[in-house]
Amino acid sequence: MIRMRHVYKIYPSQICVLSDVSLDILRGEFVYLFGPTGCGKSTLLKILFCEERPSEGQVFVNGIETTGRRFRKIHHVRRNMGAIFQDYRLLRDRKVGENIAFALESRGYRPREIARRVQEVLQWMGLSERKDDLVLALSAGEQQRLAIARALALDPPLLLADEVTANLDARTAQGIMNLLKEFHKKGTTILFATHDAGLIKQHPFRVISLEPIKPTTSSPENVPLEER
Amino acid sequence: MIFIRYVVRRTLRNIKGKFFLNLSTVGVIAISALIFSSFALVAYNFASFLEIWEEKIEVIAYLKKGISIKNTEDLLDHIRSLDGVESVRYFSPSDALAFLQAKLGAERNLLEGIQPSVLPASVEIQLKREYRRANQIRTLAERLKQFPQFEEIQYGREWVETFSTLVDILQITCWILGGVLLGAMILIISNTLQLTIASRREEIEIMQFVGASPLYIRVPFYMEGILQGLLGAAIAVGLLFLLHRVVLLYIPSSIQVWLARVSFLFLPAEFIAGILVGGMVLGFLGSILSSARLLRYRW
Repeated sequence: MIRMRHVYKIYPSQICVLSDVSLDILRGEFVYLFGPTGCGKSTLLKILFCEERPSEGQVFVNGIETTGRRFRKIHHVRRNMGAIFQDYRLLRDRKVGENIAFALESRGYRPREIARRVQEVLQWMGLSERKDDLVLALSAGEQQRLAIARALALDPPLLLADEVTANLDARTAQGIMNLLKEFHKKGTTILFATHDAGLIKQHPFRVISLEPIKPTTSSPENVPLEER
Repeated sequence: MIFIRYVVRRTLRNIKGKFFLNLSTVGVIAISALIFSSFALVAYNFASFLEIWEEKIEVIAYLKKGISIKNTEDLLDHIRSLDGVESVRYFSPSDALAFLQAKLGAERNLLEGIQPSVLPASVEIQLKREYRRANQIRTLAERLKQFPQFEEIQYGREWVETFSTLVDILQITCWILGGVLLGAMILIISNTLQLTIASRREEIEIMQFVGASPLYIRVPFYMEGILQGLLGAAIAVGLLFLLHRVVLLYIPSSIQVWLARVSFLFLPAEFIAGILVGGMVLGFLGSILSSARLLRYRW
């Protein structure tokens, strides 16, 4: 589902965040992207999400090369993935329910389906009571849950999650992890960036480690590639 | 169908959501369209006024005495075949006298004792519309002068030349001023729409974040621009109509007498339709210009 080959990311200030990263993630896998803060986990997710261009290297998502100079169909790639970043990207002056409905409506869902899904994901996230509250009134943890709810509402085949349990209390984090595992069981591919080794120990899946500047990967060559 | 419903819903919600910003955009469009359509109204009336003058342009050729009727009929046929001639009418000396008597009205007794034979017969030549310009009339007059049957050719040279200059000035002014006003309108509208779109930056980013198709992102904004343009243009036409009525009401009676033969017209229906469609096109173009950068998926 995801293939990266010799990917580098060097910012204009000459700061090298990713250096020669190669990895493969198969359809239906749950994979942790593990490493300390600043090792480039978020950058890697943003590259996969077509939000940052790699300085060098090739990236394939669902068999489509997204790094070509003339690549313009970003929405095609994003339609097949949900993303939860650390800045949540919510409409802060809108209500909780409206945030999810807005995303669904923008993707062409019918009003009846939108109402059903909003209700469903808010219930999963324990936010049903706050449906009519403004996002501004939510705590950081609630905003994070809302961002997760929005991503899950779109039922994406691939989910990119960047430290999604970081702002949550242990119980809520556990609930979120269980929910993500349920989605994984249903076939969703999940790439979960975290620096929390305890979380990985608690919910063990394949780990791809990133280290600042010099990355190591869990030998992609040994993974039977779907594209092969 | 889902898409159309979505566009209608999202457009109306966008307008409702930023109502005052939309109102000010419509206001700016209305003011720009009012300035443009006022100019069009003045130009239209001036052109109609010139048209009435234009109808009066004719060439009169006075015949020499003693030309036979057969000869005259041949001559009229010949003139009819000339380029630019629309109609030809023969005025006998008796017709000329009757015309003079009608013109003098109560003072017709001044003509008592005058015999029709004193007056020359003449040919009144009406020109086709596209030949009523100074140089074309001059060319025709030169040709008529070569006919031995004619004594004198008259066409009010100075008058025709002044008229032609006026028409030229009007046309050039219309193009230049109209073009400048149109350019200014596009600039103003696109800048105002940019404010509307900038106020939605967050929404657009979220739509791009969830992978909305470019059509889903753009079309509601374009629709919003089209509606704003239509509404602005409609308000401008309405205001112009009121303005036109007020001007008609307050025209001093002395000018009304002078205007008796020249009405101060409102714009014709096709012109109004043109302004409304123009408003929609400008709103559409303005929204494309102002949103091109922001609505594109970038990375």
